[in-house]
Amino acid sequence: MSAPEPLRGGQAAPPAPPPDRPRLDARTVGRPVRARLALYWLALYRRRRMLLALALGMVAFETLIIVIIRTIPPEEMFAGSIRQPPSAFRAFSGSSGAVSLASYPGLLGAGLVHPFWIAMQLTVVGSFGAAAVAADVEAGTIELLMVRPVSRARLLAERTAALVSGSLVVTAAATVAVAAGVAATPRLHEMVSLRAVAAAGVLGLGLALCIAGPVLAVSAAGRHRGQVVGATIALGAGSFAINFIAQAWPTVSFLAYLSPFHYYTPADALVSGTVPLGSLAVLLAVFVAGVATAGWLLARRDLAP
Amino acid sequence: MTAVIELAALTKRYGATVGIQELDLRVEAGEVFGFLGPNGAGKTTTIRCLVGLLSPTAGTARVLGLDPIADHARLTPRIGYLPGELRLYGELTGAQHLELLGALQGTPTPRREELCQRLELTARDLRRPVAQYSHGMKQKLGLVQALQHDPEVVILDEPTEGLDPLVQETFFALVSETSEAGRTVFLSSHVLSEVQRACRRVAIVRAGRLVAVEAVAALREARARRVRLSFPDGHDHGLVPMEARWSPTWSGNELRLLIPPAELVAALRRLLELPVTDLAVEEAGLDEAFLAFYRQAEAEAAARHPQAPAWGAGLPANPVEHRR
Repeated sequence: MSAPEPLRGGQAAPPAPPPDRPRLDARTVGRPVRARLALYWLALYRRRRMLLALALGMVAFETLIIVIIRTIPPEEMFAGSIRQPPSAFRAFSGSSGAVSLASYPGLLGAGLVHPFWIAMQLTVVGSFGAAAVAADVEAGTIELLMVRPVSRARLLAERTAALVSGSLVVTAAATVAVAAGVAATPRLHEMVSLRAVAAAGVLGLGLALCIAGPVLAVSAAGRHRGQVVGATIALGAGSFAINFIAQAWPTVSFLAYLSPFHYYTPADALVSGTVPLGSLAVLLAVFVAGVATAGWLLARRDLAP
Repeated sequence: MTAVIELAALTKRYGATVGIQELDLRVEAGEVFGFLGPNGAGKTTTIRCLVGLLSPTAGTARVLGLDPIADHARLTPRIGYLPGELRLYGELTGAQHLELLGALQGTPTPRREELCQRLELTARDLRRPVAQYSHGMKQKLGLVQALQHDPEVVILDEPTEGLDPLVQETFFALVSETSEAGRTVFLSSHVLSEVQRACRRVAIVRAGRLVAVEAVAALREARARRVRLSFPDGHDHGLVPMEARWSPTWSGNELRLLIPPAELVAALRRLLELPVTDLAVEEAGLDEAFLAFYRQAEAEAAARHPQAPAWGAGLPANPVEHRR
């Protein structure tokens, strides 16, 4: 088939241009749309305000935790009557049991397992997870994106990268706030190194990604962002509850292995100063499995509102 | 001639619901092809199969000889598509949309500025977030993004929806130029006058099935004659010899009929035996021709499947809008 002639205005004379000619220069376009990784930047650009608010919220929250911890002298911390809190409270300390909640690392760890911290992470995962596929399907914008030479694998890869970046920003904000607080508080710094704070941060990112994997799979198969947000909340709250119940009730302690929070032990990392590689591997394996499932589902579905 | 779009027994089901059923269609290079049918007839489903958003349940779709899903990466740079329900990112400006979609297209966009000018999208308009756009402005932006990379095949789903008459003129000029330059335009619509104006051939679809593929000229010739007869006061309406298939409607003493061309002379002979005070005969619009195709298809379906409900069950008096 011979290629048609290029069209440059056509045979009919175009009407006179309006006085406000649409020159698509930098001023008209405004903030430029990046040609490379356009879907990645689009997802981040559309959620930039939310991401900034969450990062600031994380900084404010962890700063508050540090300020509270600084008000407790060491002698009061360890002379208290709750040296051995109930085992179920391990779920709130971010430790597998080696670190007491009634210690500086325990309290710092509690700040990294606090429902507020979890809610912030789930907000990022839910929002970016929904944005991966389901939100565009629901809004109908998927029709504009996917009638171009954009493979479904590319869509998922760029949107997954945006999710990872979002989680990284929020986790980094929390980690930097804790690190700054530790560095500014000598008696905290004596017990917790900055390297240990970084290790806890890495583990925190692992937890967020662990939840993100299945969330991406839901998004890849879903038609509504509500499905994805619901799945995110259910996964986050449900897995926390499972870990809590497993800690509280020895008969079902095996259930803890099913919860990502079992592998998320920031208090232990704050004491040891190293990332527990086995736990991190489990968290990342779930993420990878979730992304692979998402790719499989996305390749087989119809993409229409 | 070479087929640019070719559908063979294309079927799409959503569970038990049939979207389209065994559609066969062939669109030649350089053709402006109309795809006509009422809302819910399966036009958008067909188009989404053509652009690779939906995978067919059965049958095949080929565009430029390529499979829209398997050859997605090779096909999509060569097509331009305007969705029927254009959805945009409200917080992005018009210019950002064109940049984004051009970047994803991965090909140069030589016609962008010219199209913006001709469709009267000013630089000021393009600087505004599309959340502030009217429906017509969004549609203009949709047309620019569909045509800005000068594609070989243009697939437009209800393209004039929301455009004011002046911009519609520009749109039809663009379609005409596109066709003259050897490109193919596949234009879906429920507006008959739009198809009549822009297309040489038209496929009529209803309830997911292809009713007919006709040259627009043939459709026009085949259409019924609209007959208006006036009777004196007090004339008994029951005495008028008429058939139900002529769609008789009374308005006071005036009778309106739609009579197929083949029956016209005989019918008029019988009717003029009555005390008629006034008579007018004119060509019916394409919408009546459309109805005639439906009725014919219903009759054929009823003959094939006497127990099955006719397609036209519940068919509105005028299923297709005739917009002027």
